Amino acid sequence: MSETKTATGGGPSRREFLKAAGFTFAGALVGGCQRAPEQEAIPPLSQPEDIVAGRPSYYASTCDACRAGCGMLVKSYDGRPIKLEGNPEHPLSRGGLCAAGQAALLGLYDRLRLQHPSREGQENSWEEIDRDIRDRLHDLRGRGGLRVLTGTVTSPTIQASVTRFLKHMRENGDFADAKHVAYDPLSCSAILDAHERTGGSRVLPRYHLDRAEVIAGFDADFLGTWLSPVEFTHAYRVGRPLTGDPPRSSYHVQVESRLSLTGSKADERVCVAPEEMRAVLARLAVAVARQAGAPLDAADELSPSLAGFCDRLALRLWQARGHSLVLCGSQDVPTQVVCNFINHRLENYGATLDIDRPSLQRQGSDRDLATLLHDLDAGKIAALFILDSNPVYDLPDGEGLARALRQVPLVVCCAERLDETARLARYVCPHPHYLESWGDAEAVSGVIGLRQPTIPRLGETRPVIESLAAWAGAPKPAYDLLREHWKDHVLPRQARERDFEAFWDRSVHDGYAEVDPDPDRVRPKDFNLAKAQAALQAPAAADRGQTLVLYSKVGMPDGSHAYNPWLQELPDPISKVTWDNYACLSPDAAAQLGLGDGDVVRVEVRDGALELPVRVQPGQHDRVVAVALGYGSIVSERFAGIGPPWLEARPTVGENGLVGQNAAALLAWEGGTLRYARAVEKLTKTGKKHPLALTQTYDTLTLPAHLAPPGQERRPLVQEIGLSRLARKPAAPPHEDKPADLWPNDHPCPEHRWGMVIDLNACTGCSACVIACQAENNVPVVGRDEVRRHREMHWLRIDRYYSGAGAAVEVAHQPMLCQHCERAPCETVCPVLATVHSDEGLNEQVYNRCVGTRYCANNCPYKVRRFNWFAYAHEDKLQNLALNPDVTVRSRGVMEKCTFCVQRLQEAKIEARLRGEHLHDGEVQTACQQSCPARAIVFGDLNDRASQVARLRDDPRHYHTLAELNIGPAVGYLKVVRNRPDDGEGQRHD
Amino acid sequence: MTEVYPPLRQPLVAGDKSLADVTQEVCAPLERRSTALWWLAFLAALSLLALGVAAVYYQVTTGIGTWGLNRSVGWAFDITNFVFWIGIGHAGTLISAILFLFRQRWRTAVNRSAEAMTIFAVTCAGLFPVIHMGRPWLFYWMLPIPNTRGPLWINFDSALTWDFFAITTYFLISLTFWYVGLLPDLATVRDRAKPGWRRRLLAFVSLGWNGSYRTWHRYETLYLLLAGLATPLVVSVHSIVSMDFATSMLPGWHTTIFPPYFVAGAIFSGMAMVLTLMLIARKVMHLQDYITVRHVDAMGKIVLATSCMVGLAYAIEMFSALLSPNPYEQFTFLNRAQGPLGWGYAIMVTCNVLLPQLLWLRRFRTNLAAVWVLSIFINVGMWFERFVIITTSLERDFLPSSWADYAPTSIELATLAGSFGLFFTCFLLFCRFLPMIAIAEIKGVLRIGREGPAVEPRDPASAEASALAGVSRLDGNQGVKP
Repeated sequence: MSETKTATGGGPSRREFLKAAGFTFAGALVGGCQRAPEQEAIPPLSQPEDIVAGRPSYYASTCDACRAGCGMLVKSYDGRPIKLEGNPEHPLSRGGLCAAGQAALLGLYDRLRLQHPSREGQENSWEEIDRDIRDRLHDLRGRGGLRVLTGTVTSPTIQASVTRFLKHMRENGDFADAKHVAYDPLSCSAILDAHERTGGSRVLPRYHLDRAEVIAGFDADFLGTWLSPVEFTHAYRVGRPLTGDPPRSSYHVQVESRLSLTGSKADERVCVAPEEMRAVLARLAVAVARQAGAPLDAADELSPSLAGFCDRLALRLWQARGHSLVLCGSQDVPTQVVCNFINHRLENYGATLDIDRPSLQRQGSDRDLATLLHDLDAGKIAALFILDSNPVYDLPDGEGLARALRQVPLVVCCAERLDETARLARYVCPHPHYLESWGDAEAVSGVIGLRQPTIPRLGETRPVIESLAAWAGAPKPAYDLLREHWKDHVLPRQARERDFEAFWDRSVHDGYAEVDPDPDRVRPKDFNLAKAQAALQAPAAADRGQTLVLYSKVGMPDGSHAYNPWLQELPDPISKVTWDNYACLSPDAAAQLGLGDGDVVRVEVRDGALELPVRVQPGQHDRVVAVALGYGSIVSERFAGIGPPWLEARPTVGENGLVGQNAAALLAWEGGTLRYARAVEKLTKTGKKHPLALTQTYDTLTLPAHLAPPGQERRPLVQEIGLSRLARKPAAPPHEDKPADLWPNDHPCPEHRWGMVIDLNACTGCSACVIACQAENNVPVVGRDEVRRHREMHWLRIDRYYSGAGAAVEVAHQPMLCQHCERAPCETVCPVLATVHSDEGLNEQVYNRCVGTRYCANNCPYKVRRFNWFAYAHEDKLQNLALNPDVTVRSRGVMEKCTFCVQRLQEAKIEARLRGEHLHDGEVQTACQQSCPARAIVFGDLNDRASQVARLRDDPRHYHTLAELNIGPAVGYLKVVRNRPDDGEGQRHD
Repeated sequence: MTEVYPPLRQPLVAGDKSLADVTQEVCAPLERRSTALWWLAFLAALSLLALGVAAVYYQVTTGIGTWGLNRSVGWAFDITNFVFWIGIGHAGTLISAILFLFRQRWRTAVNRSAEAMTIFAVTCAGLFPVIHMGRPWLFYWMLPIPNTRGPLWINFDSALTWDFFAITTYFLISLTFWYVGLLPDLATVRDRAKPGWRRRLLAFVSLGWNGSYRTWHRYETLYLLLAGLATPLVVSVHSIVSMDFATSMLPGWHTTIFPPYFVAGAIFSGMAMVLTLMLIARKVMHLQDYITVRHVDAMGKIVLATSCMVGLAYAIEMFSALLSPNPYEQFTFLNRAQGPLGWGYAIMVTCNVLLPQLLWLRRFRTNLAAVWVLSIFINVGMWFERFVIITTSLERDFLPSSWADYAPTSIELATLAGSFGLFFTCFLLFCRFLPMIAIAEIKGVLRIGREGPAVEPRDPASAEASALAGVSRLDGNQGVKP
């Protein structure tokens, strides 16, 4: 819309026109030249080994998005990582990688990641910063305590460095009480404390869900966010194979106050108020003890129905003793002690719970943290080193903590981003992204993951271990520090390799090393029954008011991911909300207050309040208000401008300029631990509105009552079958593969016919596939307003349907992607043949032929086609490095959709042809399939009768969604199986 | 083609005009300065057009995202407006071609403007398929043009391709038909014009018309042939438009009744639009003697007939959906009537089926103000018919997870307003610069040169009554003698 001379009426003369044209042309030339810096266009004189331009390399590494320590493979193109995938050989994660883990790639290419060390906000050199810090430490000697505050440290090398640093400070720096304090933003301190009471050592057991035949979860969202979801999801899946005669499946009971992802998969789900949890566990303990023949007496104030449930569960657990597992997510130590007692009585220790090789995924101690906060308030701390954590954001009373931190003479913060805490630190020492540096992680005792750099550092950052070594006066590169530690402490813990170099090379290649547990660890003692008895006697809370429950979302494990646009736009698998946190209320509770989705409610607790939009959430206890943590972080400021700018666009951030609100302010200290549940003082309607960005607005398969044709109230899109019925059913021949058709098949697939089968029973809805697809296929992020307008771009979505009502709701997850129909409705209607069928059974979208009539999307019964409403590609040169070079970045006005990862198919076919072989089954995996922790997605060649996908098509559980349309979808589903003791014909979706 | 009317027949043109009167009165608006009222209307229409141009410019440069569409509702306002305008056009072709072939002489007074309306409506309609594309600058890819883009060709299976052909054919035939009909009148205007550029221009566009017997003969033959050619288009174009929906597999679109249903609806809405325009034009352009109550009465009957057809279609559609064994189909129709857009369905049924029943009353049919108000209701109702069909079916289809509501944005509203702006701008220009009534044809239905006694003067009310009786009994098949 530039002003030209024509507007003034004169019109440009010929000379002026030529001049303008010349400048434009020259400008275009100059602009074009800037894109490729010449110095990097010269190929290296000697090609680096194994690096072929245009061919990806995979490096084994270990994920650092949370402390679960999953193994991963970094797919790297021309020296830049473009995708993170699960490492199939890793003993914990077994090939899965969660949504947050995969999305961490964007962190590497984050424009706003800290690039330089700084002092009081001014960029500075490392030498000067180090000198300064050492001088300050020298000045401060004897003036107070020194603390190193971290999250859980799973890295043995960092742990050793911290220990060395503290030792140096104690011995040479006159900080006699120099100490390391670890805390977790999502604390599990109570479990460790309870084991300290009952077993004498502060450990977190490693849970083996695969060995458990009966699993009882108590507010532990182990498939979603608790401790190590990928590991647990895989193990859970292993425990439900549905093979054998009768088909085998673990029995899973979930007792919880809000609807978690884990609860959505349970065979039986019981909704109780948070304060009842201890009473339920106590009753269960009594019942189990009775089964064990050692009765206990304990106060019993449960309702008869809950008591009956506990007795039934106790019987199931007892029958499966040694093969059962009780998991509890409570932060109340006595409750955890009761849980330990139950597991002890059920002889699960050593079987399904391992405390000899414990989990190291949570080591934080709320007690230590509380002491530190107290010391800070009292001004006893002279120097505080905060390593890779953000206590000002994570902890309640962040403002108070900020005030206290300003009084501390020396605050050094090693951070990746300028978060709430780093803003207060005098010295900010950025550490590199874990894809740029060496590192290790021992998430579970005996499995040590290794990290290797996959790209040169993008800024002047320095690993934490190097910084600690420098401040301790012995600077050394991280690589050397790591190798030294491994040589001295890891190599001796195994017997397979004698030679360190061989051991090291193998570990780097594998990405992990399996070794013996750390010999220095305190051994657990015998179970202390007396403590458990005492816990049973502890009076239960008798609160009957509303309870605020703070939880973490699958897509936003904690605030450290708030910078990540993929995760912000990932729909929560249960609530289907993106870009916000909100107050979940049960339908009855919401109706009582006259609230609906998007009405803003004020949640007041004793020492704080938040105003949040409401999301009406079935399956939640009526007296619970659930709010997600991890939002309202200062790093989400960046999203103020995300999304296409146009006349009616609304901002992605809220009134506070951030995405969502920080609910950590409402956490409470109680009994020495951080509590995620507390009493609500007042819940008031504000009258304000904040429409939520939902990707699914209709939640059930049941049609609205006044619109449902009689007898057709429920659509059979997700089908269920009871375990006992599955056992009775003979392996039925597939009935829908040969539909009656008037016309001969006009799409012959002579060689391959690609197909997919998704096991809805295995699928937990964890959404790892959604992010995998987004990363693989360059799917753009569109921002909150666009999602609100139902224009999210995800090629793969997970449909979530409720059945039943109120607290007893049941949930089904159905991943939905292009079904690559044989007789695809989209293909016939395109006027320009932009969507066509390939001779391998793929429904292909030709982007550069598409003119954007959107007829194909209208005619798609699965509504999986996505349209580029705006030009979403943007010129962020750093972030665009994350784009997959094998996949086109789509322009404005064209349709797009799942391609079955056609780029991977082509690559695999080319590789096979080069080898002169046929493509073997399983050799090519789609992105969604690769990262699925539950192995729910199977992809392959349907023409190959021996392939896994072809065999699954003959499974009695196999069905096609909307088979009645006779369009021949290439994606099939396996029915959900519920393991119910009283299961008759209880398939609600059938 | 002069005919002799029986004495009972009421004149089609009131006021006992001479041939010169007709020429004078029809040409008068072209030869004097525009009235203030015309300017007012023109500027209003032009403003709307400018608003629409701005909206379309913004949309084309920014993206279809400026419309309220979403992943489930891929078409809404755009295709609704398209079908609406195409439907409007149909009445013009019906009047000019079919009624011509059926020798309905009363059509002569309105056929010129009705045809003009057709062309402008099709222009408005044609705009939408182009701007609704994600990449409108590539619209020519819909044409089977030999190209250098490899073996790329268009998809003859797609209803959109048929649509493209149907509309372009329709537009070309309508334009030719209209232009050919204009030739004698353009010559008349030419002959009246003072020497100068206007006269030279008129001389050029009247293609050297000289009024000779041979010219007239060729003209009449060509006109008849074109009428024959245009007649099937009345049926085919909207049938094909309906196939955009009928050949899909979306419940609520995939309906075999659509072709006749859409054609009836098109004529219905077109007639309503003709009434809307004519009733204003006869007042503003002082053409009461040419467009008489009798015309309104005749068109009212067509409106009533088509309204009943449309009503029947609604009933059959609902009946067969509910009777069908297809649960998706059943749901779609229940949802259409009672779902979130149930109010739209109510507007559609009220405006298109219930209110037009008033036309059974002769008193209503001859009350011009009432008919005009009704015509507006029908226009609104028919717009909603298309909106309801398109949007409700898309909003809630097979998978409940993908159900999504639609609401238009300001850009879409401005684009709709702009299409009305375009239509009225064109129409007002037409009124100002071309003879609104076919002078040559209207002269053929005057009394001049007829045998028989003049009708005795009677009081106006009873004269009108007997005239109406004559229309219903005799019109079209009586008294035609070569």
